[in-house]
Amino acid sequence: MLEINNLKSRIGDSEILRGVSLSVKTGEVHAIMGPNGSGKSTLAQVVAGHEDYEVSGGSVTYDGKDLLELEPEERAREGIFLGFQYPVEIPGVNNAYLLKAAVNAKRKHQGLGEVDAFEFLKLAREKMAMLGMDPKFLNRGVNEGFSGGEKKRNEILQMAMLEPRLAILDETDSGLDIDALKAVAEGVNTLRSPDRAIVLVTHYQRLLDYIQPDFVHVLSEGRIVRSGDKSLALELEEKGYDWLREAATA
Amino acid sequence: MKQASLSIEGLRSVVEALPPDNLTPAREAALAHLGEHGIPTLRDEDWKYTDLSPVVDISNRWLTAGGGRQSPDTLLARIDEITGSIDANWLVVANGVVLDPTFPADGGNGVQVAKFSDAPAPLVFERPLADFNAALLQDGLRVRISGTVGKPVGILLIDQSDGDASVSQAWAEIDVDANSAVELIEYHVSQGNADHYANSVLTLNVGANADVRHVRIQNRSTRHVQTGRTSVSLGRDSRLDMASYDLGGGLIRNDIDVDLSQPGADITFNGLYLAGEGQHIDNHTRVDHRVGPATSAQEYRGILNGNCRCVWNGKAIVHEGADGTDARQANHNLLLSEKAEIDAKPELEIYADDVKCAHGTTVGQLDERSLFYLRTRGLDKRHARQVLTHAFAADLVSRAPVDAARSTVSAIVDARLADLIEAEFAEELVS
Repeated sequence: MLEINNLKSRIGDSEILRGVSLSVKTGEVHAIMGPNGSGKSTLAQVVAGHEDYEVSGGSVTYDGKDLLELEPEERAREGIFLGFQYPVEIPGVNNAYLLKAAVNAKRKHQGLGEVDAFEFLKLAREKMAMLGMDPKFLNRGVNEGFSGGEKKRNEILQMAMLEPRLAILDETDSGLDIDALKAVAEGVNTLRSPDRAIVLVTHYQRLLDYIQPDFVHVLSEGRIVRSGDKSLALELEEKGYDWLREAATA
Repeated sequence: MKQASLSIEGLRSVVEALPPDNLTPAREAALAHLGEHGIPTLRDEDWKYTDLSPVVDISNRWLTAGGGRQSPDTLLARIDEITGSIDANWLVVANGVVLDPTFPADGGNGVQVAKFSDAPAPLVFERPLADFNAALLQDGLRVRISGTVGKPVGILLIDQSDGDASVSQAWAEIDVDANSAVELIEYHVSQGNADHYANSVLTLNVGANADVRHVRIQNRSTRHVQTGRTSVSLGRDSRLDMASYDLGGGLIRNDIDVDLSQPGADITFNGLYLAGEGQHIDNHTRVDHRVGPATSAQEYRGILNGNCRCVWNGKAIVHEGADGTDARQANHNLLLSEKAEIDAKPELEIYADDVKCAHGTTVGQLDERSLFYLRTRGLDKRHARQVLTHAFAADLVSRAPVDAARSTVSAIVDARLADLIEAEFAEELVS
């Protein structure tokens, strides 16, 4: 579904991705781990289409299409979802409005009519209950004054409403207490399906106790230096990242 | 750059040709004042951002042609449409002619209405452009509010200008008795293909312990020029909640003067201005805190696109002895184009000791992070910009203090913003 081949990307003069290759198939859950500054978030942002990152080499295809040719909104409508590490606060834009606009943008792209207002609210309330969110968050400004945990739940709510085919969750576990982490993980687990791929970008192994990945990759200095199954995450937890860096340069 | 002068001789002959009535002495005194002080120029500190050449030019052309007035008859359908869309008791000044009230304004409902032509009273015209207004004034409105008035009172100031350049004046004085409560709507509109200059003066005196809410909507043709002066005084423990929406007009200059001479007075006055290609919107506000405790708070927001210029100049003067003053002012601007210009200037003069004063101004573009976030949710660039721009204005629309006017304000703001954003995309395609 997602084929990343020797991807290189820079912001300004600094090269952040130096040849990343990754293959993600439908139904799989991948975890991308790595120390701070290794390029994990950059990879997520490039796949989502952030214009600040210049792609200087390599290719990314999604369902056989050249993903790099698409605008961020086209990628979203094609079923790619990025859960932000730092979701933006947008005062004055109602959370329900954004959810509905997002769902309708995708439906329109699929040639479907606009969502029924009643059905939409019913569905949103159900998903919110699952995530332990108060329905009053629907009428608040997008992420406005939300705590760290509320923002992350809100990202998962958007994902649940949009039902993406490929979800990339960037540091979704950062800044969460254990209850929020469990709620978020449960939200993600409910969305695991043979039709959907999930890529978890994370610094710590902790999230992977709750969401079991099929594959774990370690990104270091802009390259994937090791891939394995979930036992790799445990090994990293035990030995830290320095061990891999030494192995990579040796 | 030297501004052409207003033809005082031309004005004198037009003023002298008006039929004598009980406003004749006021007109003559105002003409003498104007002859001495003239129209403000860019050399005057309070007018340095706004070139009044179009006012002089339109007025001189109109005076040369004899200074006639179009009949308000062509406006009747539009008047019906506007007054029918907002539930209020409407008073109408059309092409400067004060129409008879269509609601029973006999005092039974707490609203008394008199025309200047019936009931003369002294006019305070010794201020820039108010003298020009008074020199030509043939009639005006005097409204008195007593008790709690249920239905909002609206004043519609409407002009039509076809064929030749024209000038109109409107003057309204509103007195709200002590312990009264009322909602006011002031609505400025114009239409027609010829140049027009509308000059308005509104005086609002709020009695002790009274509660007034006021919405002002300016949606004139972008061909037209308007200057307006609003003078407000607040009685002891009274409250005024006011919001001003400048959504149209070519050259617009608003002056709001607030006099706080009684303790316990509390005024909030906010403003929103939307400016596109060729527009110039200048808001000058001045609050005189003469005694304390009293509170004034203002927040103006602007959205600018294309080659346009806006001005916000907020002056607060805390006079000696006005301890317990709380004065706040804020001005935030969104510039959607590199060609748009804003001059934002807070001015505080404090001569008392125990005061709280705060001011802040910001000028910025749409937040790139927010735009990207919305796009990753499937909203296209245009929709994302629309949503963010709208959010910036929506907050001030939702705070419109008169419920009956809010949906109208909201509809005009939505339409105007859609135009502004279309213009922005047109620009992007060309460049």
